Amino acid sequence: MLFKYLSDWADTHTDKILVTQGSRTVTYGEVARSVMQIATFFLKQGVRPGDRICIVLDNSPEYISSYIGVHRAGGIAVAVCPQYSPFEFRKIFNDCLPSAVIVDKKYVKHVLDAVSEGTSIQAIIIMEDSDVQSSSAARSGITSRHSNIRFYSVRDVINTPDCKIEYPVCNEKDVASIIYTSGTTGEPKGVMLSNENLMINARSIIEYLQLTEKDRIMGILPFYYSYGTSLLTTHIIAGGSIVLENSFMYPNQVLDRMFAESVTGFAGVPSTFAILLNRSNIRKYTFPSLRYITQAGGAMSPLHAKEISEILPGADIFIMYGQTEATARLTYLEPRDFHYRPWSIGKAIPGVDIELIKEDGTIAKTGEVGEIVARGGNIMVGYWNRPEETDKVLKDGRLYTGDLAVRDEEGFLKIISRRSDIIKSGAHRINPREIEEVILELPEVHEVAVAGKDDAILGMVIKACIVLKDGQGLDARKVQRHCHNKLAPFKLPKEVVFVDELPKTGTGKIRRHLINDLGAGIGSTG
Amino acid sequence: MEQIKKTLKKFILENILFDDNDNALDYDDSFLEKGIIDSTGVLEVVNFIEEEFEISVEDEELVPENLDSVNNLARFIHSKKGNTSQV
Repeated sequence: MLFKYLSDWADTHTDKILVTQGSRTVTYGEVARSVMQIATFFLKQGVRPGDRICIVLDNSPEYISSYIGVHRAGGIAVAVCPQYSPFEFRKIFNDCLPSAVIVDKKYVKHVLDAVSEGTSIQAIIIMEDSDVQSSSAARSGITSRHSNIRFYSVRDVINTPDCKIEYPVCNEKDVASIIYTSGTTGEPKGVMLSNENLMINARSIIEYLQLTEKDRIMGILPFYYSYGTSLLTTHIIAGGSIVLENSFMYPNQVLDRMFAESVTGFAGVPSTFAILLNRSNIRKYTFPSLRYITQAGGAMSPLHAKEISEILPGADIFIMYGQTEATARLTYLEPRDFHYRPWSIGKAIPGVDIELIKEDGTIAKTGEVGEIVARGGNIMVGYWNRPEETDKVLKDGRLYTGDLAVRDEEGFLKIISRRSDIIKSGAHRINPREIEEVILELPEVHEVAVAGKDDAILGMVIKACIVLKDGQGLDARKVQRHCHNKLAPFKLPKEVVFVDELPKTGTGKIRRHLINDLGAGIGSTG
Repeated sequence: MEQIKKTLKKFILENILFDDNDNALDYDDSFLEKGIIDSTGVLEVVNFIEEEFEISVEDEELVPENLDSVNNLARFIHSKKGNTSQV
């Protein structure tokens, strides 16, 4: 279990720094103490094993303590993207029915707006160093809907009196975490990951990256996604350190920090590297301590990959592939193979078996296309409250990823296409149906199709094609404003076009891959 | 300077915050601290100021001191325009 590794390191290396953020450093010993304070607080609040507790925090030492503290109390940590709108928070609250929410004061208003009548939430803990009574963040949004909720501050958690309390025995098979991903219907699906899933995947990653207690990663990826979670779990198990920068707005600042903190590792998605190459001073830096870079979350352009390897000749580059349903990682490409096979996602990570299965159910031969199907201790328990959705992707203990690939004679895998329509924009994965549902709320809209449009920096940006009802008019800006009110900023369509009809198959299904070509110059924006 | 600030504020309100309320953004608000702009939004702002004010923003100039508020942006643009006119 993660807290076991944390407490072991805290026992033997109490003053070793686990996390650095700005000028603040927090040691293993300090995080371990906070974890116990949070666990004790929740147990005294009556949290029972399996209770869901939502975490709405940016990357921070408090996030780490909360995440592991929930585990220690026997609860399930549900980390939620803090940028979500009340509409999006409500979907998640109504799905996983959390008993408590831990929220940064910056995001309290959206969380309070999301709470429905008869909510499951009994307690909201606000990460603000003041009494709740004097907290403007809390007071500003509390209404009669919140009358059954108890509000607490960090001080209440820290000041929980010591008492004899029985901590639950955590089982390897217990669900430790739920990570929401874009569902096929537009509703988010909660991926349930057990303690075992988290530990097995982390140990496997540690093995191929050869992480040790000397490692120090630059953490710019949000912990609430599986890639970010894996940075956290691997470095705690290995006894390493994490340097946090919550924004990639100013990449030169991140590079300065990487140099100043002598980081040994850097993890990014394709857009991270596109921004570094196109809008930073990376060519003027040298990083003598940097020994590796990892890239996942979609295919990086071979040109960018080559440039990065030339700019950072001392760093090994690991190309990786995975899914949240596999905790994080399924395959990786060894750095020595990267220069010869930049198109490849490599081979299965230790402890994972991968087969390519053809549509007829037989195993694909070398060079034949098949669906990536994975087996291993990292494969999720299932989707929260969605047995039918679970059965579609988990069969005989194997995960059907929906991604198509071929394997060459030496066993290297290459992704051919992804079956799902998910839009990968920056570090985010976005379901176009979720945006379509919001746009359809506008009374002028007859039909809408949303798809990803290629973008040099983000990988994809969102494009919406709209068919209006007869005689109706609509401004693209109004569509964007409506989306802005309902959705997180990264889900906003950058381009809105109005068309006479949408491209469809004979059975009426929208052909999303043709959306890119639609409506150029017709009432488009952005 | 005041006209530059008004132009910048209008762009951010219309294209990033999608907000008609003039009070939604103060000239001194930190884009980073207030979560107004993310890493891609800042690139949009840079593209905008390059086109609108006919300046070229160098990679090393992408720092908060130049970009992290309407005031900082306006000062930065003003100094760039001044430097350009002296060349």
